[in-house]
Amino acid sequence: MNIVPGNVFGFWLFVVASGVIVYIMNLSQKGKLTVTLRPIAGLDALEEAVGRATEMGRPVHFSPGLGDIIGTSAPDTLAALQILSYVTDLSAKYDARLLVTIRMPNVFPLAQELVRTAYSMANKPQSYKEDTVRYVSSDQDAYAAGVIGLMHQEKVASSILAGLYMGEALLIAESGASLGTMQVAITASITQIPFFVAACDYTIIGEELYAAGAYVSGNKARLGAIAGQDCIKLAVMAIIVLGTIVTSLGSNFVQDLLTK
Amino acid sequence: MRKELPLAITFVVALIALLSGVVQGPIPGLGVSIGDIYGNYIGKWMTVVSAFALCLASVNLILVHGRAVARKRSQDWIYSAILLGTLVVYALFRTYVELNPADEAARANYSLIYDYILSPLMSGQWACLAFYVGSASYRAFRARNLEATVLLVSAIVVMLGAAPIGSLLWDQFPAIQQWLLNVPSMTGQRALLLGAALGSFSTSLRTLLGIERGHLGGM
Repeated sequence: MNIVPGNVFGFWLFVVASGVIVYIMNLSQKGKLTVTLRPIAGLDALEEAVGRATEMGRPVHFSPGLGDIIGTSAPDTLAALQILSYVTDLSAKYDARLLVTIRMPNVFPLAQELVRTAYSMANKPQSYKEDTVRYVSSDQDAYAAGVIGLMHQEKVASSILAGLYMGEALLIAESGASLGTMQVAITASITQIPFFVAACDYTIIGEELYAAGAYVSGNKARLGAIAGQDCIKLAVMAIIVLGTIVTSLGSNFVQDLLTK
Repeated sequence: MRKELPLAITFVVALIALLSGVVQGPIPGLGVSIGDIYGNYIGKWMTVVSAFALCLASVNLILVHGRAVARKRSQDWIYSAILLGTLVVYALFRTYVELNPADEAARANYSLIYDYILSPLMSGQWACLAFYVGSASYRAFRARNLEATVLLVSAIVVMLGAAPIGSLLWDQFPAIQQWLLNVPSMTGQRALLLGAALGSFSTSLRTLLGIERGHLGGM
């Protein structure tokens, strides 16, 4: 059993990065390191979005995006589900009606169980209804059409779009904007960020999606993982600078190391 | 136990999935590779789980829209009725096509649903994007502050560089457009990509280790 050629550096980088993140997570959990995150306006606005829905007597819409829980989109979807957990807590707290629309069938049972559990933990199991979490369609176009239709029919007060998005991002967000819906978009999908910025009230971009769970929960271990992630980012930046200098001097050392 | 068991399964399956792409060769003592375990067992289990998830999702779809049709509380119940009708007709039609592969006429008629109903609907929906881009751009490009003004000027230059009239007005517009896309825009995108990749890695690691449990309910 050996490492596939071309993946040797990547494998050891993974091992070292995992070690660093776990070490800093432990330090944070034991209280030996205090990690504070800078304020993220969009995440603070989630409470405002749910509160607005309560005041208006209309529902809050939440979409965990187009991603699945398997494959490369899984981290985006898992991060979106953590935000859904927080939004459900807020909905239970403020007695706001929550509507969750799902694209991927694999995400549906997870989201359904998550929302049901969150309502039960908030001592409001009666707030969970069979139509709280709705499967719309696994087809991208049909999903966008279903969400737009739901926003019009239910006259949603606030819409939270978290996770992976593709071409339908603007269709959904601009429809919401035309209805006067307060919208918060949380995505790492680089090509869709400009559309969300143009159409939504708050847009949370890039790695902030993955930090959202730690931010809203305040969990020390999760906050430690964010600090560990920043340490790895510094190391990657150092490799980029080193690679630029070494390559400019005519050496392929860093390139060879990365592709080993 | 309600959370520990899913976390244990997540750890084992995720570790096998992770190593299957990095490690090759048989595991000492077992005689099979991690890739074989992933391909022969976990891949198939995922297909089965996905099929059951689709069943659950379909039941939810039928219940939600069936209830809307039964109650008829708002005028929108007609859309739910159309959805359920389409679901039944489409499922029956597809089943017939699969059971009778020799019936070429049925297969051709099945394709007509795509060509003359679904395809025009999808084209119409995407055509709306042109208008949505216009209305969203209008709001984004209003020069309310310095950042919005920079965005407005950059957008005008990029549009002029891409449109034929731009090079007629000034032959440097295409070159400036390329510079804007290749240097400032690309720099920002790569920075976002780097942060997102590390964030994705960290989230996966937290999930693998069971520290991230938000997706199982309760923060």
